[in-house]
Amino acid sequence: MKASELQIGQTARIVEIIEGYSSKKLMEMGCIPGTPLKLEFRSPGGDPLAFNIDGYVLGLRISEAENIIVEME
Amino acid sequence: MLPKESYIALLGNPNCGKSTLFNRLTGMRQSTSNLPGTTVEQKSGIWKFGSESRAIKDLPGIYSLYTHSEDEAVVVDHLLGNGKYAEPGYIIFLLDASNLRRNLLLFDQVSELGFPMVVALTMADTAIRRGIEIQEEKLAAQLNCKVCVINPRKGFGIDKLENNLLELPSKRMDSSEARNKLLAFRKGEKIPGISAETLGRYKKIEAIVKETVVKKETERISLTKRMDKIFTHPFLGFFIFASIMLTIFQGVFTLADYPMTWIENGFGQLANFLRNSLPDHFLTRLLTGGVIPGLSGVLVFLPQIAILFFFISLLEDSGYMVRASFITDKLMRKIGLNGRSVIPLIGGFACAIPSIMATRSIKNRSERYATMFVIPLMSCSARLPVYVLLVSLAVPAGTRIGPIGVQSLVMTLAYFSGIIVAVILARLIKIFKKSTAPSEFIMEMPPYQIPRMQTAWSNVRYKSMSFVKEAGKVIMVISLVLWFLASYGPGNEMEKAEAKVRSEKNLSSAEMETKVMAVRLESSYAGKMGKWIEPAISPLGYDWKTGIALISSFAAREVFVGTMSTLFQSSDAQQVEGIRAKMAKARDPESGKLLYGAPYAYSLILFYAFALQCMSTLAVMRRETGSWKLPVLQFIIFGAIAYVAAFGIFQLSLIL
Repeated sequence: MKASELQIGQTARIVEIIEGYSSKKLMEMGCIPGTPLKLEFRSPGGDPLAFNIDGYVLGLRISEAENIIVEME
Repeated sequence: MLPKESYIALLGNPNCGKSTLFNRLTGMRQSTSNLPGTTVEQKSGIWKFGSESRAIKDLPGIYSLYTHSEDEAVVVDHLLGNGKYAEPGYIIFLLDASNLRRNLLLFDQVSELGFPMVVALTMADTAIRRGIEIQEEKLAAQLNCKVCVINPRKGFGIDKLENNLLELPSKRMDSSEARNKLLAFRKGEKIPGISAETLGRYKKIEAIVKETVVKKETERISLTKRMDKIFTHPFLGFFIFASIMLTIFQGVFTLADYPMTWIENGFGQLANFLRNSLPDHFLTRLLTGGVIPGLSGVLVFLPQIAILFFFISLLEDSGYMVRASFITDKLMRKIGLNGRSVIPLIGGFACAIPSIMATRSIKNRSERYATMFVIPLMSCSARLPVYVLLVSLAVPAGTRIGPIGVQSLVMTLAYFSGIIVAVILARLIKIFKKSTAPSEFIMEMPPYQIPRMQTAWSNVRYKSMSFVKEAGKVIMVISLVLWFLASYGPGNEMEKAEAKVRSEKNLSSAEMETKVMAVRLESSYAGKMGKWIEPAISPLGYDWKTGIALISSFAAREVFVGTMSTLFQSSDAQQVEGIRAKMAKARDPESGKLLYGAPYAYSLILFYAFALQCMSTLAVMRRETGSWKLPVLQFIIFGAIAYVAAFGIFQLSLIL
């Protein structure tokens, strides 16, 4: 599934980052396969999303989070 | 030890405590400068330790050396000694202990460049609270680099950092392979396999983390997490955001009014005093009529700049600014702007000058330019006195539709017309101006922290200084030109006109003086220009007097009211009311129609809502974009919109 489909409070493990404009930046920000990812909260408008990744909070638009493929544990 | 002429660079991720360490090391021995062609403000200073003292630079925080952002690439240019930048002698690399993996990525890239480097481990207390304990010695062995734990806020660990630095070798190791690769990337060449390289680095980092980090489970919910629940709450979040914006707006709009009045009155009195005590000479007139008002016209912006940047600095430093972008991103993206456009846009209702300067926090260049472009369409405080006069001409006081006063309704519509055009223009820019870097929101949301006054203060000081030094020059030159146009006329027409008034018998001395001022202005170059542009502006319903006021209000929009009252020989004690009464009665001598009726007022309200009638805005746009292209475009486009809108409403209201 995509990281953008997680419910608030759900944790999943990153499986793959889809190649694209933001894939390099996502990896540099710590989104690499194997890392757990938790959806912490959403913006009041539903987009962007805030994920907890390796102990810090990363804000991502839905369109960006769609490029992160995750797997529920 | 490091040669004297070389410098030490602070390097690390954003939000890792770099600036705090920099402040701690340099104290007040620091200066901020703007790196040419970028929005990057760089701090440099002198660090005294033991008997040594060295130059130290706070390089912008970055996540990776492979960056496409021009602003972040400045760091890479420093490390490579590329272009105009000298490479550092030593590097102090800051590692955020609470975020070790991501921070080690940059460390791993930088370590290949061979610089003598020490590591300062920050945020160790935060890490421990999260159950992360880092074993210093093991980490040092793994990184092959001296490591010490520091707390720059409390000053803990600085002495150890100094000792580690003193033990560094004085020369950089050879690293041509890594440098050439980075240089090629910087030149825009396609480098294959960067993703694979990054994954490879993370694999290495994972092994280091396994060796050096002891993790314990904690159940603690951090304060930041609880605060984020409130600040991004669907209702509360927006409510808090709106309250903060309102506070900032009130600060710039209301609070700044006091010092602004002091500055204007102070310079006004100084000019009067000098005018009365110095001999009547060209130089005296230049000084009291041109230079002093020009200086006042520059300095009068400082209170607004200082207050806006004080608030912005607090919001940035506390971590709230990222949250503000987070909750407004969706809305602003729809109109082609950025979450960080919100504060500059709201600030625009007070004054465009500090707001345009505030767009620097927008990292995406095309979104920043689009924001700057539309800011002057927000009706600023200088437009308010103009609106007040014109609305009183358009609508008789006390007119109501149900419970709503029509005067305030028209005023509100004036504000909204600017907003609507701004939204339309921003969307058009997004459609037609394809940006080189796609819009993105990949943003770290750092823990909240108590904002530091020293940071706010140095920010305010730097912004004020750079405005006076750079935009101030242009404002000064234009205000001198405007002064000359209003004070001198072709041939001796001004003198003749004045002599004619002086020869009139039945005038009191006060009436005489106001009439002299009016006829002098009428026969000045500005007066001639007003008459000269009359054919162009008469389809909008304006006469030559309005033409003069339009030209002179280029210094500042509110000057419109003053110029009109001079031309109508109104005593300025009850400016708006006196001038309104005179304008409302004026009739065309030939047709007998009202000259300044409702159609005139509506037309001029729209003209002022849209036209870029402000030299200071042009000056600050030029400074912020580094060229005249954008300000000239704004001037033409807004002028055209203003003309068409004013023409339309004037002709329409004539028919109705």
